[in-house]
Amino acid sequence: MTDMFVSLGNWNWLIFGFILMALEVVAPGVFLFWLGLAALLVGLISFTAVISWQIQLVMFAVFAAAAAPVWRRLGRPKPDAGASPFLNKRTEALLGREFTLEKPIIDGNGTVRIGDTVWRVAGPDTPAGTRVKVVHVDGANLTVAAA
Amino acid sequence: MSGFDIFAIVLVLLVIVTLIAGVKTVPQGYDWTIERFGKYTQTLSPGLNLIVPYFDRVGRKINMMEQVIDIPEQEVITKDNATVTVDGVAFYQVFDAAKASYEVANLNQAITVLTMTNIRSVMGSMDLDQVLSHRDEINERLLRVVDAAVSPWGVKVNRIEIKDIVPPADLVEAMGRQMKAERVKRADILAAEGQRQSEILRAEGAKQGQILQAEGRREAAFRDAEARERLAEAEAKATQAVSEAIAKGDVAALNYFIADKYIKAFGQFADAPNQKIIMLPMEATSMLGSLAGIGEIAKATFGESAASATAAARRTGSVPPTGSPPPAVPPRQG
Repeated sequence: MTDMFVSLGNWNWLIFGFILMALEVVAPGVFLFWLGLAALLVGLISFTAVISWQIQLVMFAVFAAAAAPVWRRLGRPKPDAGASPFLNKRTEALLGREFTLEKPIIDGNGTVRIGDTVWRVAGPDTPAGTRVKVVHVDGANLTVAAA
Repeated sequence: MSGFDIFAIVLVLLVIVTLIAGVKTVPQGYDWTIERFGKYTQTLSPGLNLIVPYFDRVGRKINMMEQVIDIPEQEVITKDNATVTVDGVAFYQVFDAAKASYEVANLNQAITVLTMTNIRSVMGSMDLDQVLSHRDEINERLLRVVDAAVSPWGVKVNRIEIKDIVPPADLVEAMGRQMKAERVKRADILAAEGQRQSEILRAEGAKQGQILQAEGRREAAFRDAEARERLAEAEAKATQAVSEAIAKGDVAALNYFIADKYIKAFGQFADAPNQKIIMLPMEATSMLGSLAGIGEIAKATFGESAASATAAARRTGSVPPTGSPPPAVPPRQG
């Protein structure tokens, strides 16, 4: 076993890297891909210069740790991207839409009817029946202003 | 194996373990809260996330999808003291994972209990009839109260539905009987009304018939009277004509007519098939005696002018018939 590793020499890193990448496809733990990249990088460097295996291991560890912030910056999708940006964010979808105030806003609280349910809204005091626009959303709390 | 060898191997293991611990994949529909040394710091949204291992750890995994909870069956006493069994469902959705995690200890239980107590207070303020017929109103009132109560927990209750309202069996039976009695009452009233209407119509018909009959009689009486008037007028005219004729001519002419009619009437008696015995009044013989007088008249008249006598006879004989039996003209002295 050890003989085999030794006989393969620097190829070990490249093989290890591709295996990690393949594993990523099978079991999406996600970060295996970046570990694979780190392994490939170590392999490529080891072909250009003669480095002891201990140093190669340390290099692998450093690359892997460095991959985290790099991946975080590059790989993270933008919050609003995707096929259904408002999935499970029902209130965000209401931003900018106009509704008729069902009950007047008194002391900052009133209600509007959206869909077949009633939403409590916050905003400046306004009489019932006024058209209001959703201007801010925080969780289940909608803030409105006269449209 | 040197110390550096072991260090290198351990370092690689540490980095790998750390990375695996720091990478968090949050599935769609969930939000994970992150606590740094036990204190909430941030919420992870669906997708890939990186946290700092050793400091941060995942706190709660909150379901952000709309969820339904069964409101268990409970007994509610309505305003008019009927005990009904009620159950329902509530739909809610978490909008703020941090509040839902840390502002309330057991969200599901809290919403369930809140809804149950509010069902009791809302339905307890209504009569049984109202409870059974105003389900929408109950739902709406429950929704408003419960939604306002859960909003500090970052939760929105979208809908509360009362599923079943079951009054006790004996009450249901009584309601059925009440319903039946109501229908029977309506049927009876309708039948009585129909009878009344028909009797009125019948009486009205009879009344109308009698009025029409009376009118007919009245009309007939009017016409009868008119006929009699006309008859009297005609008789008067005839009498006048005869008397005029007598005044102009001889009284003996009158006797001629009387005798003529008398004999004709007598002839009719003779013609009658079943009566051959004729009873004559005593005066009849004297009437027969007048026949001799007629002979004398004839002689006297024919002696002077036969032509003028016949002409006179024709004129008096042309009194128009009136339809009624010829009036017995009383012999006039003159």
